[in-house]
Amino acid sequence: MFYVSVFFQYMAQYMKTKLQYRADLFVEWLSDFMAQAVNLVFLLVVFGHTTLLHGWSRDEILFIYGFFLVPYAVFGAFFNLWDFNERYIVQGEMDRVLTRPLNSLFQIVLERMELESLLGAVPGLIIMLYAGSRLSLSFHWYDVFVFILLVIGGVLIYAGIFISLATISFFADARTSIMPMMYNISSYGRYPIDIYHRVIRYILTWVLPFAFVGVYPASYFLDKEEWYGYVFFTPVVGAVCFAVSVMLWNAGVRRYRGTGS
Amino acid sequence: MNAIEVERLRKEFKVHASRSGLVGAFRDLWTRRYTIVRAVDDISFAVKQGEIVGYIGENGAGKSTTIKMLTGILTPTSGRIVVNGMNPHKEREKFVRTIGVVFGQRSQLWWDIAVQESFRLLKKVYRVSDEQYRRHMGEVIEMLEIGPLLDKPVRKLSLGQRMRCELAAALIHNPPLLFLDEPTIGLDVLVKLNIRQFLKQLNERYGTTILLTTHDMSDIEALCERVIMLDEGKIIYDGSLERLKERWGQGKRVAFTFAEAVTAAFLRQLTEGLNVVWKKGEQPNVWVAHVPPGGVPEVVSRVAARCALNDIHIHEVPTEEIIRNIYEEGAVHG
Repeated sequence: MFYVSVFFQYMAQYMKTKLQYRADLFVEWLSDFMAQAVNLVFLLVVFGHTTLLHGWSRDEILFIYGFFLVPYAVFGAFFNLWDFNERYIVQGEMDRVLTRPLNSLFQIVLERMELESLLGAVPGLIIMLYAGSRLSLSFHWYDVFVFILLVIGGVLIYAGIFISLATISFFADARTSIMPMMYNISSYGRYPIDIYHRVIRYILTWVLPFAFVGVYPASYFLDKEEWYGYVFFTPVVGAVCFAVSVMLWNAGVRRYRGTGS
Repeated sequence: MNAIEVERLRKEFKVHASRSGLVGAFRDLWTRRYTIVRAVDDISFAVKQGEIVGYIGENGAGKSTTIKMLTGILTPTSGRIVVNGMNPHKEREKFVRTIGVVFGQRSQLWWDIAVQESFRLLKKVYRVSDEQYRRHMGEVIEMLEIGPLLDKPVRKLSLGQRMRCELAAALIHNPPLLFLDEPTIGLDVLVKLNIRQFLKQLNERYGTTILLTTHDMSDIEALCERVIMLDEGKIIYDGSLERLKERWGQGKRVAFTFAEAVTAAFLRQLTEGLNVVWKKGEQPNVWVAHVPPGGVPEVVSRVAARCALNDIHIHEVPTEEIIRNIYEEGAVHG
């Protein structure tokens, strides 16, 4: 409960800061929106030529992409860990974090929050509505809750993987280029998984479960019954991923406190 | 009761020793050589509640490492630490609520938001009630004279203003123990005075125990009755500043400005048996006598009886010089 109220306090503070720079905020929104639009146009162009990809129609692929954008946006808003090494280890901000009476990971999430990333979910929802209506998908009232559950699962998977990567900073003194590479790999999850080779499919499911952020959960709404097992596995994979990453994080902090920066 | 108890505290770091040259770099890829550096070497001390202790030493002497262990950031390699009755590296979250920390080189405050908004966040994080906040922070804000700064964003503050706000931020939860790492670094004299005065008041009014590291000896002289001096990870002196000065102050410096030129030999002969060392001053006809304790009246009367003088200055050996002497000679005995 305490953590929830701290969270909202930080959020309020964040919004106040952002509102101070009105022009800046506006430009940011605009550029975010443009980036999303370009992405969308690119996708339409690419899939305009291929009407069918390994048994997936253009609209189905679009739908998956649209779905993927939602957990991705939520992840981007709360888990900005890509410069963790630079900011917290090299510059020593971690010391300050450790002198405050809050969980260290939670503090970093709060400090690095970027709520405007949530806007990225809007094009996602639009794409889903557009593709969904063309596919004339059936929709039930409880699908809203399923959707939320699957999004949370996806966010936890993303968070888990990137938190685990950030923990590398605690163990290795050199900077690694794994982060950008992982961003690239993560984008594979937003395309139908069976277009890939068996090995890649396996990796994206069980090693770096990015498929659970895009294809698998989206196939629930696309009525692809052969994937249903994976669909409901999404929150489980998310929970496991996140739990493992928190354990790694704690081990990392222990190590940091042993060695210093 | 003791606020800090440290026994045989040790911290070792593994440092990667890189070989030179390209070949060396390749060999480093396979087998790494490590050397173990002992940053803090079996130190023991205790700080009573309400004390202000200066923790001094050269760069790399182990000051920051000790502070980091005392604040729970680092876990010691061996030894025992009890701070505020707790072990700092266990129950971290509970422990840090009982201490305040200011790292002079690092900011506690959020850069973009107004100072009071930062305070509000910290108040929430430290679970301070509104009533408690109003009562205690009202006083702190008044003492530090930062009332007018509260609605300005931190990035618009000068260093001195920011530092005062940092201090206030570290005291939001009214901790009984305050760690200050270089609190006056880079500040001008007026701000330094203000901060020192504040720390004194804080110590008197709330009985706050303060442990501070500094390079500025005037900080120590103004605030600390006790100093702990560290060199290469070992404590080389722990005791009152007064005693340090007595033992190492080596009496007084007396600067004579003579009306006409004198020779060193003449002066030495004049003060024979008084154990005085004469050194030529920077100005013409100025000679400085390094006089052992108690010898000043005799030296002055002997010189004044034989020479025409324009001026006499008597001053104590500055603390900085004492400290420098100690470092040059190594450990303090006794």
